Amino acid sequence: MQKTVPKTGIFIFDQGKRLARSIDLDAVIQRLARIKNVIRCEVLTDLAAPLPSIKEDFTSDKFNRIFWVGKFSDYQKKTIQSELSSAGLNPYMYEWCDLEEQGIGTKGVDSGIQTQKAIILIQMTLARTRLLEPLEPLELPAVDASLIIGAGVSGLHTATSLIGLCKKVYLVEKESGVGGKVASLHRLYPRICDPRCGLEFEIQKIRESDMIEVHTLSRVKSLFGSPGNFDVRIEKQSRYVSEEKCNACGECMKVCPAVIPEEQRSRESAFINETSQQVLNSLKSDKKAIHPAVPMTYPSTFVIERQYCPPDCRECVKACPALAVELEQTSSELAFKVGAVIITTGWDPYQLSKVDEYGYGIYPNVISNLEMERLLEDPPVLKEIGFIQCAGSRDERHLHYCSSVCCSVSLKQVLFLKEKLPDALCYIFYQDMRTPGFDEELYQKVKSLNNVIFIRGNPSTVKPGDNGKLRIHAEDTLSGKEIDLSLDLLVLAGGMMPSQGSFEIAQLLNLPQNNFGFFESHLQCHPEESQRTGILVGGACRGPMNISQSIESSHRAAMEVLPFLNRTILIEPKYPVLDLTKCDKCKRCMEECPFLSYVFDENGFPSLDLTKCRQCGNCMGICPLIAISLRNNTIKQIAAQVQAIKPSFISKEEPVILAFLCENDAYHAAQSAVEYGLPVPPNVFFIKVPCAGSVNNALVADALAFGIDGVLIAGCKDGQCHYVKGNQLVKTRSGDLSDKLQKMMIDPQRVRFESLEIRDSKKYVELVKSYIEELRAMGPNPFKS
Amino acid sequence: MPPKIDREKCDSCKAEKESLCEQICPGDLMTLDEDKKAYCRMPRDCWDCMSCVKACPKGAIETRIPYQLGYHVAKLIPMMGTNTITWTCIDINGKVERFQYINRGMLE
Amino acid sequence: MAEKIPKSLNEIQTEVIETDLLIIGGGNAGCFAAYEAKTKNPSLRVTIMEKAHISRSGATAAGMDAINTYIRTDKGETPEKLVKWSRAQVGGGPIREDLALSNAELLNETVELLEEWGLPIVKDEDGHYKLRGRWDISIQGEQLKPIMAEKAMEVGAQVFNRVVATNLLMDGNRCVGAMGFGVRDGKFYVFHSKATIVSTGGACGIYKSPVTDYSGAHHQTWMCPFNVGTGYAIGIRGAAEMTSMEQRWIAIRTKDFCGPVDTISVAFGCMITNAKGERVMEVRYKDVGGDKAARFYRLNAPMTEWLEGRGPTYVDTTILSSEEAKDLREDLLNERPSFVLFLASRGHDITKEPVEIYGSDPYIVGGHTGSGYWVDMKRMTTVLGLFAAGETAGGNPNKFVGGCAVEGRLSARGAVDYIEKTTLPPLDTKQVEKEKERAFAPFMRGPEFDGVNPMEMEERMQRLMDEYAGGIHQFYRMNEERLDHALKNIKMLQDQTKYLYAKDLHSLMSAHEVSDRLDVAEVLVHHLKYRKETRWPGWQTRMDYPEVDPNLDCFIESVRDPKTGEIKIFTRPFEQLIPGDRTKA
Repeated sequence: MQKTVPKTGIFIFDQGKRLARSIDLDAVIQRLARIKNVIRCEVLTDLAAPLPSIKEDFTSDKFNRIFWVGKFSDYQKKTIQSELSSAGLNPYMYEWCDLEEQGIGTKGVDSGIQTQKAIILIQMTLARTRLLEPLEPLELPAVDASLIIGAGVSGLHTATSLIGLCKKVYLVEKESGVGGKVASLHRLYPRICDPRCGLEFEIQKIRESDMIEVHTLSRVKSLFGSPGNFDVRIEKQSRYVSEEKCNACGECMKVCPAVIPEEQRSRESAFINETSQQVLNSLKSDKKAIHPAVPMTYPSTFVIERQYCPPDCRECVKACPALAVELEQTSSELAFKVGAVIITTGWDPYQLSKVDEYGYGIYPNVISNLEMERLLEDPPVLKEIGFIQCAGSRDERHLHYCSSVCCSVSLKQVLFLKEKLPDALCYIFYQDMRTPGFDEELYQKVKSLNNVIFIRGNPSTVKPGDNGKLRIHAEDTLSGKEIDLSLDLLVLAGGMMPSQGSFEIAQLLNLPQNNFGFFESHLQCHPEESQRTGILVGGACRGPMNISQSIESSHRAAMEVLPFLNRTILIEPKYPVLDLTKCDKCKRCMEECPFLSYVFDENGFPSLDLTKCRQCGNCMGICPLIAISLRNNTIKQIAAQVQAIKPSFISKEEPVILAFLCENDAYHAAQSAVEYGLPVPPNVFFIKVPCAGSVNNALVADALAFGIDGVLIAGCKDGQCHYVKGNQLVKTRSGDLSDKLQKMMIDPQRVRFESLEIRDSKKYVELVKSYIEELRAMGPNPFKS
Repeated sequence: MPPKIDREKCDSCKAEKESLCEQICPGDLMTLDEDKKAYCRMPRDCWDCMSCVKACPKGAIETRIPYQLGYHVAKLIPMMGTNTITWTCIDINGKVERFQYINRGMLE
Repeated sequence: MAEKIPKSLNEIQTEVIETDLLIIGGGNAGCFAAYEAKTKNPSLRVTIMEKAHISRSGATAAGMDAINTYIRTDKGETPEKLVKWSRAQVGGGPIREDLALSNAELLNETVELLEEWGLPIVKDEDGHYKLRGRWDISIQGEQLKPIMAEKAMEVGAQVFNRVVATNLLMDGNRCVGAMGFGVRDGKFYVFHSKATIVSTGGACGIYKSPVTDYSGAHHQTWMCPFNVGTGYAIGIRGAAEMTSMEQRWIAIRTKDFCGPVDTISVAFGCMITNAKGERVMEVRYKDVGGDKAARFYRLNAPMTEWLEGRGPTYVDTTILSSEEAKDLREDLLNERPSFVLFLASRGHDITKEPVEIYGSDPYIVGGHTGSGYWVDMKRMTTVLGLFAAGETAGGNPNKFVGGCAVEGRLSARGAVDYIEKTTLPPLDTKQVEKEKERAFAPFMRGPEFDGVNPMEMEERMQRLMDEYAGGIHQFYRMNEERLDHALKNIKMLQDQTKYLYAKDLHSLMSAHEVSDRLDVAEVLVHHLKYRKETRWPGWQTRMDYPEVDPNLDCFIESVRDPKTGEIKIFTRPFEQLIPGDRTKA
C-alpha cells in the first residue's frame, strides 16, 4: 500500500467579504497555517486571478488535494472544476466546505464563537480531505438488448418503443399468441373501437422489424447476472405445428374431431332456462384441439393442445396441405443475454366464485365483466340485467383496494348493451361511481339513458327465482327503500389482481411485492422500478389501471431501460469496498441492502454487483466490524470528521450536537433554514450522508467517546426513504445503541433519530433548540474531558 | 464469567450459519440453542475475554463475574468506536466509572 | 447445534491441503510468522491452522496492556543487557543465550512494526516509547490480536479457522505437515506442507486452578485456558526433543481472579506487603535482590508468608492517587478487562484497600520460562522441517509478546530457507487413515458409550498433578515418591483415553485436549524427577533435594520413543556467551 503524503491547499472564497463580517478570517488562516502539510491557506475575494497559480502549484506537486471554503454558484463550481481538471487534478481530489450552511453568519451569535466554529468546520473537512483518493469512473460493458416478459398491450407497446429506437428486443409470452386481456375486450370507449385494432397496429410494427424475436408458449426459466449483463434462459413449449410451413389455411380445423370442453359454468343445472341457455351458448368457444394462436393470431402458426387429442388421431396431419403438423415436436430451451428486463405480466380477474353471495359459478346467468365483453359481441335477448359494482373489490374479505376501471367498464357495457337491446332494463348497484377525468361524460351519458337505474347499495345473497331468473334483494341507501328484482342476467364488475404470471416471475427473480401482490415500486417518483436495478415493471402488473395508463407506463419503462442498453455502463466510483481482512461473513450487509446488490462469492465473502448498487451506504452503516466503506466517503474519513469536533468550543457546560443529515431530505431542511435566516444555534455541526442508514453505530460511539453531548440522526419518514428502508434500519440500530447507553448510565436520549422532510427547516431549528435544552438539563456528556 | 444474553435483543445474527459471538469465541463456547438464541455451552469454561460482548451488533451480551468470586451485581460495558473504545464500570454499590482511549492508530 | 454422529469413518469427509508452509496456531508468533514468510517470498503458499478464530484466539484474546521487552538504546540499553537481565530473572539460568541474543537483536524493529500496523504505543515527550519498567513499554492493546490477524490475512496467508490439530504428519524423521479435524464442520483435515511452524502457545490446565468450582470459575486462570499444550504434545508424540519442561511458569497473581500483577507492581510501583504491614521482599529477600529479585523468589514470597501465618499478602495499591488508580485500571482493561469488573463486584476501592496476591497454578510456557522444544538458531526443532516459535519454543525465557513476535519472524526465515532446499514426498495415506481413526474415535463411540467423559478425566488429571506434582494446593512442593505416584497414574489415564467419548465436536476437542495435556504432563513429571535439586524454588521445589546441585547446571532434555512410548531423559551443557555474574541483571 503506497502511502502518499497528503498535501492540502485550502482556499477560502469570500466574495463580497461576507464571511469577514462574521468571523475573524485572519485568526482562521493563522490557525490553519500551523497544521502540518497544509501547504497553502488563503482567503480569495476573486476566483479568476488565483486559479493559474493554484494550477501551477498543483502541477509542480506542491499539493495534491484542495478544498474550497465558501458559497459558490453552480457556474463558479463548474469553472473551477474544468480549470483544475485541465491541469490534471483528479475531480475526486477536492472537497467543498460551505461554512454558511452550517450556520456561520447567523445573526446574534458571538463572533469569537463563530470563528472557533469555522476553524473546527474547516478542520473537519481537512480531516476528510487528507484521506481522499484519486478515483476514476468505471466502465462496464453492457448488452444492447432487452427482455420483455408478457406480450399484452403493455408488452407490445414497450417492444415497439424499443425497436423504434433500434434496440434489440426479446418478447416472451406464455400464451400461444400475443394480445393479452385487451384482445378479449369487446369495444373501447370513447371511440367505440375494437381493441384489436390498436393491438394490430403495434403487431404490424413488430412484423416488419428485424430487431425483435417473439417467443410464444414460452416462459422464463432462469435469470442470472447483473444489469447490463443478464443471462436469460427461456423454455418454449411445443406448438406441434411448424412455424415455417403453416400458412393458417384452417384445413386442419375442419377435420379435427376434438372440441376443447368448456369449464362447468354452473353447478345447478336446474337453473337453466331459455335465456341462461342462450347466455351459455354465447360464452361457448367451440375451440378445437388444433386452433389458431390465442388471443390474437400473431404468430400466425396454429397450435395443438395435445391433451385434448383422442389417442392416435392424426387427422390434422393428413389434412394439412403444407405438411406443417409435427406431432413429434419437443419443448426447447433458449439462452440469450440482455442488458435489462421489463416485466409486463399484466393482471388476472379476481376469482368471483369466492364472492359466494353473488352465485358466480352456481347460476349460469351470473357472469363477470370480462365475460360480458364476449357476450356483447352477440347478446341474447335480455329483458332485465343487473350490474353489481365492487364485486370482490374494496372488500376486506377479498381485494382490499379499488380496481379503478370497473365503474367505467360497466358504464361502457351498459351503453353498448342499450344500443343492441334498447328496451333492456339495466340496474347498476354501486357503492361509489368512480369515473375520473373525462369519463365523467360517460357517466352523464349513461345516466341520461332510459331504463337505466342506479341503486346505491349492494345486494344481499342472490337467490334462484322462477323460470331460471335470479332474485335480487337490495336496499337503496339513498332513498332507504327496499328493492326486490328478478333478473335475466347479473354482471359482476370484478376486480383486477396480479396475474399468475406476475407471481411466478416475482418468485423466480426475487422481486419485492407490495401487500396486494403487485410489484413494489416507488409509486410517486419511480413507478416503473422494481427495486432491482435493471429490472423494470410496466402496465397492470404494477396495479389496477386502464389501457391508456398501461401504455403510458410501458413507455416510461422503455425509457428507463435505455441506460442499461448502452454499449457501456458508467459507474460512479463512490461505490462500497469491503475489507476482506475484517469481514467475518456475518451476511448483515447482504440482508440489509435494499437492492439485493450483494451475493456470496466462492469463498463465502459478500461480493458487490456494481451495476445494481445504488451507493446508498446502508451496508457501510450496518457492518458490525466496520469493514465496508464507500470510496472517498469512508468510515475513516467520517470518523476523522467526527473526531475533529471540539465539544467544549463554546464552553465546558454548553452542549454540542453532531447531526448526521441524509442528503435527500434532512440536509436540505438544514440548508434552507439558514437561507431563510432562521436562527440556527451554533451548537450543532452536521455531516451530510447519502442515506441516514449509512451511519454506523461505531461513528456514534466515537462521537460520544470524544465528548459530544448529543448525536442526532435525521432521515426520511417511514415509506419515504429513497433507499426503501434506510431510515428504519438506522432507527433500530441507534435504538440498540441507546439501550446500551442506558445500561452504561448515560441518558439514552443522547442518541436520537428524527424524520425531516425536505422543507422542514422550521422543524429542524426547533428540533435543535429543544435538543440543546434537553442536553443542558442532562448535563455534559460524562466523557467530556 | 458466564456471559449473560438478553434473549429479546439477540436476533440470532439472522440465524446465519455462525452467529458473530460463535465465530469469535476463542474457547468455542458460544453457540445458538434450539430457539436460535445465543448461549454459552459451558459457563465455567469462559475466560472473560469479552470478545463476544464486543462482537455482538445488538449489544445483547454482558459479562458477569461468577458468584464464587464476586458479589451481585457489577457491570462492565464496552462501546466500540472506529478507533476508540469506551468502558463503563458500575460496581455493586452503584458507583459509575468511565474509561476511554484510542485502540487503533499512532499516538502523538 | 446438534451434530449427527457418523456411523463410519467413510461418512467423514477428508480434505487434503497442499501448501509450502504450515503454521499451527495463529496467535502472536503464528501471525508474525505468516507475515514474515509472505513478505520474504510472496509466491509462497502459507497456511495457518487455528482451532479458534485468529482474530481473537489464544492468550491475547482480550488484548495486552504492555510489551515487556523493548530496548531503549538511547538510554544505553543493549540486546546483551536484555539477555543478561533475562538470565538473572531465571536465577542465572541455564538459558540459551544464543537464541536470546538473536531474538533481542530483532526486537525493536518488530515492536515498531506493530505500531505501523495501528497498535497505539504510549510515548514520552521526546517521542520515544515510554518506559514503565526497565524494559516494559505501555500499549493500548485492546485491538492487538485483530491487528495482527488482519495483517496475516492481508499478506495473503490462507487461514483455516476452527481446525484442531491432533498430530503431526511424519515422513520418517521429517515433519511434512499436520492433521486434525474441523470443530465446526466435522471434516478431517490433512495439511501436507514442506515445512511446519508450531506456535500453539503454552500449556494451561495441567494443574488444578486454585479457584475452580463446578458451577463456575473453572477457567479463572492467568493463562489462556484454551492453550492446552497441543503443540508440545504433537511434538512429543513425533519424537521431538523437549527442553527445561521442569522450569514451570508460576508467578504472583491477584488472588482469586488470578490476573496479572506486573502492571500493578512494575508499572505503578506497588510493593508486596503482608498482613503485618511489612515490605516482604525488602525484609526477607534482600540478599537475592529485594524488590528486584528473580521472579520465582517473588512467587514464593506470598506463599511463604501465607504458610507462616503472616498472610494475606498484597501489592500495596493504597499508595496510589485516585488518578493513578484509574490509569492502572485503564491499563488492565486492555489486557484482562474482567479484572476491573472483579474489583467492582467487590466494591473494592484500591486506593483504600490493597489488592491481595497469591500464586497461580503452574503453567508450561516457553515465552515466560524456558520450557518447550529444543531448537537450533534457525528455530528448527530436532524433527526435520518442524520449527517452533513463541511460547512453544524452549530455552529462551522472558520473551513475552515482543519476543514471541520476533520468534515468529525468525522461525519463518528458518522455514523459508528450508523450503527452498526441499521437495515434498507423496502423502502417506496409511498414516492419514490411522490418524483419522484416532482423531474421531471418541466421537464415533457416541454419547451412550459406557466410558469416561473428557471433563471427568480432566478433573482427575488436574487433581492428580496438583497433589502429587507440586500444584498450588501443595505450595508447589514435591518429592520423588509423589512424583512417581503421579507418573503411575498419568500412565493409567493415558491408557484410559480409549474410554473417552464425545457427544459433539466441541466435546471431541475436549477429549483431545485432555489427552494432549496428559502427554505433556508425563514428560513434565519426568523432567521434575530428573532435576534432583531446587534451583528455582516455587517453580520446582524438591522437598527431598532442597539445595542447588552444581552438577545440574545444565539443560534437562527429553525425547519420547514413538514405538515404545518410553521417555528418555538426558542433559545438554549450558554455554555462557555473555560474561558476568549470571544472577545479576
